[in-house]
Amino acid sequence: MSTDIPWNLIAPLIVIQLILAVVGLISLYKAASTRGPKWLWVIIILCGNLLGSVAYFVIGRKDAS
Amino acid sequence: MTPLLQVDGLTKRFKERTVVKGISFSVAEGSCAALLGPNGAGKTTTISMLAGLLQPTEGSIQLRVGGKPVLDRRPYIGYLPQMPVFYPWMSGKEFLNYAGELAGLTTREAALKTGEWLEAVGLGADGQRKIGGYSGGMKQRLGLAQALIHRPKLLILDEPVSALDPAGRKDVLSLLQRIRRETTVLFSTHVLHDAEEICDEILMIKAGEIALQGNLEHIRREYSEPVIRMEVGGEKASQDWLASVGNKAFVLQAEIAGTRAELTVADVEQASHELMEDAVAHHVIFRKFESGQSTLEDLFMKVVQA
Amino acid sequence: MRQFRLFFRKEMLEMGRSYKWLWVPLVFLMLGVMQPIVTRFMPEILKSAGNMPKGMTITMEPPSGAEVMAQTLSQYNSVGLLILVLSLMTMISGERQSGVSQMIFSKPVSFVSYTAAKWMSMLSLITVSFVLGYAGAWYYTAQMIGPVDAAAAVKAGLFYLLWMWFAGSLTLLVSSLLNPAAGIAFVSLGAALLLSLMYGMIPEYLAWSPGALPQLAITFLQREGGDTGKAGALAISILCMAVFFAGAVSMVKYKKSKI
Repeated sequence: MSTDIPWNLIAPLIVIQLILAVVGLISLYKAASTRGPKWLWVIIILCGNLLGSVAYFVIGRKDAS
Repeated sequence: MTPLLQVDGLTKRFKERTVVKGISFSVAEGSCAALLGPNGAGKTTTISMLAGLLQPTEGSIQLRVGGKPVLDRRPYIGYLPQMPVFYPWMSGKEFLNYAGELAGLTTREAALKTGEWLEAVGLGADGQRKIGGYSGGMKQRLGLAQALIHRPKLLILDEPVSALDPAGRKDVLSLLQRIRRETTVLFSTHVLHDAEEICDEILMIKAGEIALQGNLEHIRREYSEPVIRMEVGGEKASQDWLASVGNKAFVLQAEIAGTRAELTVADVEQASHELMEDAVAHHVIFRKFESGQSTLEDLFMKVVQA
Repeated sequence: MRQFRLFFRKEMLEMGRSYKWLWVPLVFLMLGVMQPIVTRFMPEILKSAGNMPKGMTITMEPPSGAEVMAQTLSQYNSVGLLILVLSLMTMISGERQSGVSQMIFSKPVSFVSYTAAKWMSMLSLITVSFVLGYAGAWYYTAQMIGPVDAAAAVKAGLFYLLWMWFAGSLTLLVSSLLNPAAGIAFVSLGAALLLSLMYGMIPEYLAWSPGALPQLAITFLQREGGDTGKAGALAISILCMAVFFAGAVSMVKYKKSKI
C-alpha cells in the first residue's frame, strides 16, 4: 500500500453500518410480522451491508396493520 | 321526546350506483336504535355519512343539542368503525390519551379519563401493551373506549359485534347495555338477535331503503301473530277437550295433533283466559301452556326476502 | 394550535418508533461521507483491481474539494432522493389505507393541523438528515481531499436543502392523492427527476423551475457562472410548496377514508 489508510476516518463508517444492522435485527426480532419471511431478512441485513438494512427498513417493515 | 338525530332524505350515489336511497328517520334522546339489514343494504355507507366521513349526495343530517341543531356534529358524536384500526406501535393507553386530547379534553382530563375507560372496558392490565398485540375483542373494546372518552351525546357503532367470537361478543354487548343508560346509541347490525338484546328502536334497511321502522315492542305487537301452544295429559277428558278447542270463536286457526295443539288466536290474553277457565271446568290436565308470538326473526326474514 | 402540537408529537413518536429518525439520517451521513472516501482511494482501488492492460497508466487529475462536494450533491439527487421518497411515501395514504383515519376524522379535528403536522415532521426529518450528511461530506472532504470555500458550501447546501424540501412536499401531496405506495413513489420520484432533467436540457426556458435548484447548488461550488434566475427559482419553489400543502389539505379533507 502506497498510502496509509486513515482509520480514524474510516472507523465511523463501520460503526454506522453496525448500528444500522443491529437496530434492523432488533426491530426484526420485535416485529410481529414482516413482508416476506423473517429468516430471509436476517440474511439480507447481515450480508447486504448498508443496502440490506435500508431495504429492510423500507420494504420489510410493516408500519400499519 | 325530542329527536337528537334527525335524518331527512339521505342519499348516497357512487357514480351510477345509488347505495342509500333517500332514507329518513330520527333517533330520540336516550334511546337505542339499531340499523338492521342484510349485508350490502347500505348500513356502513349510512353510518359513515352520519359520522361525517362521507359527504351525502343529497339530504340532511341534523344533530340537536339543547334543542338547537349544531353546525359541526363531530364534538357530540363518538364513532366506532366496523373494524377499528389503531396505530400498532402505540400502547392502548397512549392511543386513548391521544383520542381524548384530539376530542378536546385537557391534558389532565384526558389522562384521568384514559385510566377510567381502560378499567371500564376491562383493559386495565393491558394498557401499557402495544396495540399491535391486541386480539380482535380487545381492539373492539378499546375502540368503544376511544369513542366514549369525550362523553358524546350520540354513540355511532358500525357492526360492533359481528366479527367477534362468542366471548368477545358477550363482553361488548354487556358493555353496550351499561353505556346505553347514559348515552343515545345508534348501531348497525345484520344480526336481529343483537338488536333485540339492547335496542328499543329498530330501522330495517334493505337495498338502501327503509323497509320497516319503529319501536321494537310496537313492531313485535303489530306484526306478530299471537300463538298459543299447549300440551295436555293423555287421559280421555283432556283429549276430548283438546279436540274441541278448534271450534271456539276466538281461534283463528288450529293445528291439533294428539295431545298437542297450536292455536293462532286474535287476542292472546282473552284466549288464554277463556281456555284456562274452560279447561278447569272440564278437568283438563295441562302438561304445557305457552302463549307467545310468531317471532321477529320470521318478520325479519320476510322483510329481507320480500 | 393545540391540535397541531398533538399531531406533531404523534408524528415524531411514530418516526422514532419506526426507527426513521435513526436510519434516514445515518444513511444520509453514509452517502455524504462515501464520496470523498471513494474519490480519495480511487487510484488504489483501480490499481488493486489489477486487470488493467499492461502499459496503461491512469492519469487522474486529483479533484478539488469543491468538485467532490458537487459530486456528493449529485449522489443525493439519485440515491438520497430515492431514500427520501421511500421513507415518506405512506405518510398520508397509510392512515387512510389502514382505516385509522376513520377514527381520527370522526373527532373534531382540524384538517389543516393534521396536514401541517405531517409537513413539519417531514421537513424536520429532511433537514436533520441532509444537514448531518452534508456536514459529514464537508468534514471528510476537508480532511481527505482539500479545503472547501465555506460561503459557497453553505449557499449550495441551503439551495439543495430547499430542493429536498420541495421533493418532500411533492411526495406528501402525491401521498394525499393516491393510495398504492408503489404508485406514490413512482409518481413523486419521476416528477422530481423529470423536473431536474428538463432543466438540464433546456435551462434557458426553465430558469425559474424548482428543477433548477440542484444545478444551482452545484454551480455555487463550481463557480462556473450561468447561475441566473436564483431568486426566481427560490420564489417559485416556495410558492409550489405552499400550493402543494393547500392541495394536500383539501385532499385529506375530501378523502377522509377509503370507503
